[in-house]
Amino acid sequence: MSGELEGRVALVTGAGRGIGAAVAAALEREGATVVRTDIAGTDVVLDVRDEAAVARVVAETAEQHGRLDIVVPNAGVAFVKPLTETSLAEWRELMAINLDGVFVTAREAAKVMAQAGKGSIVNIASVTGLRSAPLIGAYGASKHGVVGLTKTLGAELRDFGVRVNCVCPGFAGTDMVSSHEQELTDAIGMPVQDVINARQGRLGTAEEIADTVLFLASDRASFCTSGAYVMDGGLYGALV
Amino acid sequence: MISSLEGKRALITGAAAGLGRATTELFVAQGASVVVADVDGAGAESVAAALGDRAVAVTHDVTVAAQWEAAVGTARDAFGGLDVLVNNAGIEIGKPLTETGEDEFDRLMKINVTGTFLGIKAAVPALVESGGGAIVNMASVAGLGGAPLLGAYCASKGAVIRLTEVAAIELRAAGIRVNAVCPAFVGTAMVDRLVKPFEAAVGLPFGDVVKIKQGRLGTSEEVAEMVAFLASDDARWTTGTANVLDGGLVEGLL
Repeated sequence: MSGELEGRVALVTGAGRGIGAAVAAALEREGATVVRTDIAGTDVVLDVRDEAAVARVVAETAEQHGRLDIVVPNAGVAFVKPLTETSLAEWRELMAINLDGVFVTAREAAKVMAQAGKGSIVNIASVTGLRSAPLIGAYGASKHGVVGLTKTLGAELRDFGVRVNCVCPGFAGTDMVSSHEQELTDAIGMPVQDVINARQGRLGTAEEIADTVLFLASDRASFCTSGAYVMDGGLYGALV
Repeated sequence: MISSLEGKRALITGAAAGLGRATTELFVAQGASVVVADVDGAGAESVAAALGDRAVAVTHDVTVAAQWEAAVGTARDAFGGLDVLVNNAGIEIGKPLTETGEDEFDRLMKINVTGTFLGIKAAVPALVESGGGAIVNMASVAGLGGAPLLGAYCASKGAVIRLTEVAAIELRAAGIRVNAVCPAFVGTAMVDRLVKPFEAAVGLPFGDVVKIKQGRLGTSEEVAEMVAFLASDDARWTTGTANVLDGGLVEGLL
């Protein structure tokens, strides 16, 4: 069953490392031609805050390869701070990347795909886009926004043959947990690693997230649209 | 390479028709061995016969604990163990709550909810023997929201989702993942039976409602792909989740 994306063309933002890099590798493994973008260090350099640049990269990708089948707006940032201490400038900076960037990338992809009558957009959201977590209020709000835009964009594009979904990973080894262990521990009042072990078993990996993105990008998920797919070792479904 | 189900040993209930049959066929096509369980034993036999050596039929009533022991025993005897349970068997009632009899409500709950519960209980020891495994419960978008005439069915599927979440938490340490699948209207006999009562009760053409809310009917094969994904190692960090496939039905207000 390998090579299910043979002949497809994919674009992944934030593909330089972490989840984006794993997604790009998984798509490539299945035979897709993958255009990787990031703010630095990738073949295509793209700041997703730059609307015109995003539009250009999406259009050029489709033009150069003659098609655009899969787009994964993945670029995102996070900081760790109570909402009460978050400045408007910090909030806006994060939203510009995590929410505006996903919106513009998905919108531009949608234009190309709707015209072609096919395509799959897989946004990278988070379980913090469904529930709360201390110190990552701005991040969580941006991910709630990604889940929200996924729902309506999916509805708008359904009759054009374009599917739009998002994935909601729990805490993965790539994200802010490792770099902010002490702050999170102080905020929760218990060692954050113990809480993660109890609530989701362990940290997830970028490869695990990528395998779900792959499913949603593929024709196997042909009836899935507007959906938010959780992978988190059980965190989301558990109250305590 | 995408993880197939090569070498996995599965027990699928309600496997003689509809979603269960499509799931059984996909599992065997992906290399799994399947105990084809259904209360319609002849139907199960005919599905299994068409699939060759890697399919064994059992007549199986999900409401009877002893029959669960027997079905899991068949997986052990025929295939040497069990890696995947698909709790798919279920029934519907298409009636207003006020016209639903207590006996028929109880019967639906017994099959859809108690059957799922008994399946988890019976399968876990065998899954533990295999060093872990996956359980996939057939829920529905009806477990996530209300729909007219489907009161008992909605209540049962909501219960299946909650059961899924708790089982996932309790069984995580044993390496057993438990997830639910939530399809919208799919082209099956069950949905066919609902068309007339739905149109009479709602006053809108069923086909139009389906077109507007979910684009088209889903197919059993599409549901089977989701079940196969959740049963596979590709979903190895996914547990306790309700996985919707519905063409946007649940998230659309209008």
